[in-house]
Amino acid sequence: MAGTLFSILIFPGLLFLCIAGLIFEYVDRKAYARLQNRVGPPWFQPFADFIKLLGKENLMPCAANPTMFNLAPLFAFASVVTVFLYIPLWQTKSSFSFDGDIIMILYLLTIPTLAFFIGGWYSTSLFARLGSVRAVTQLFAYEVPLFMSILASALLADSWSLQKIAVYYAQHPAYCLFNSVGFAITLITLLGKLEKAPFDIPEAETEIVAGPFTEYSGKLLALLRLTIDIEMVAGAALVVAVFFPFALMFSPVVGFIVFLIEVLVVVLLLSLLRTIIARLRIDQMIDFCWKWLVPLALFQLLLNLILKGALS
Amino acid sequence: MSLAKKMMTWARIKSPWVIHFNTGACNACDIEIVASLTPRYDIERFGVQLKGSPRHADVLLCSGPVTRQIEDRLVRIYEQMAEPKFVVAIGTCACSGGVFNGCYNIKGGINSTIPVSAFIPGCPASPKAIMDGVVKLLMSLESTEEAEKPKSP
Repeated sequence: MAGTLFSILIFPGLLFLCIAGLIFEYVDRKAYARLQNRVGPPWFQPFADFIKLLGKENLMPCAANPTMFNLAPLFAFASVVTVFLYIPLWQTKSSFSFDGDIIMILYLLTIPTLAFFIGGWYSTSLFARLGSVRAVTQLFAYEVPLFMSILASALLADSWSLQKIAVYYAQHPAYCLFNSVGFAITLITLLGKLEKAPFDIPEAETEIVAGPFTEYSGKLLALLRLTIDIEMVAGAALVVAVFFPFALMFSPVVGFIVFLIEVLVVVLLLSLLRTIIARLRIDQMIDFCWKWLVPLALFQLLLNLILKGALS
Repeated sequence: MSLAKKMMTWARIKSPWVIHFNTGACNACDIEIVASLTPRYDIERFGVQLKGSPRHADVLLCSGPVTRQIEDRLVRIYEQMAEPKFVVAIGTCACSGGVFNGCYNIKGGINSTIPVSAFIPGCPASPKAIMDGVVKLLMSLESTEEAEKPKSP
């Protein structure tokens, strides 16, 4: 009981994730700034932003639905925090694990997008509604290649449990190379999930103010920003756990440090991608996902099916 | 001053998010505001970020005299911002109405419509002047909150 509470609230649950999320936000912003030839924010910047937002006034439009407006960020936050409990990061052990948890994680990572949609829709602002609709439209484009490429890797490992996938790839490190196409697709679609450039269409601030978050202020905005940070960490950790779980070959503490370094590399790759590519239009984004990423993901699935036959 | 309050003041000083609003300027001050956000000056060093939504912003950067047409909009934007909020008037026109003062369509400087925390004169105010003004505003924040400290007996 105490162990369960510890893993939910402290490590690798709430407390660890909040701090890791804010630190990785700093890494992302600093890398983004350095790539643009800027100095970038100091290390405590995300913490200062978070504390400041906690102390600000909470505003809600009169026409908004108070229940939905207040609950949507909580749902988003809860679901991304839950994701981390199922990711193996301490040797091959995750806090909780069962057969099929990879499917559950993928759906838990979808909940924030839907929560943003609901929050934006019920805040009744024109900009928020436009942004929400864009967020859901985008969801239908990136979700399919993302699921296919992650499940292709699971297919090769012959398991729906993240822990078993991690064990399989730790035993056969060379097999990770077969999934390189899937890794590239996952990285690109993860940018869509995190609503970062080039897929920051839902919150395009030059067009529609701040998308679904337009009407949020104060504590709820702080929670939403923290949700996106944790989503970034959880997404990067999922990529690491599925595509290169090498950390699991080392002893616990060293392995955990290697795991964090791998997550850092994925986050840096994400900031590199968002620096070098400008925002697409929503139709271009959907064309790109369905015309290029889905066929590539299908190719990855086919390759893994053939390999599975050849290797066994 | 308690620790929580101290931390809050620190966070407010370290993370001023700004929103830029043209109240009828000739665009020169707007270009200077945008210039101060470019990599050349990089004010993200001080935690300043440009936000699209007034709900997210702490500091409203106004440029230009208040025209009669923009007056209602300016009040509306100001009221949409969450407390604590600050207004900075950038450029001579925003401070006093400048050369447009007395025109039939001009109400005057920004402080004729909403309360202003800092005035930055200049035609146009240079990026360095804008940064200096914002830093002075934030420093004044520190001293006013310290002034509220109850005197020890």
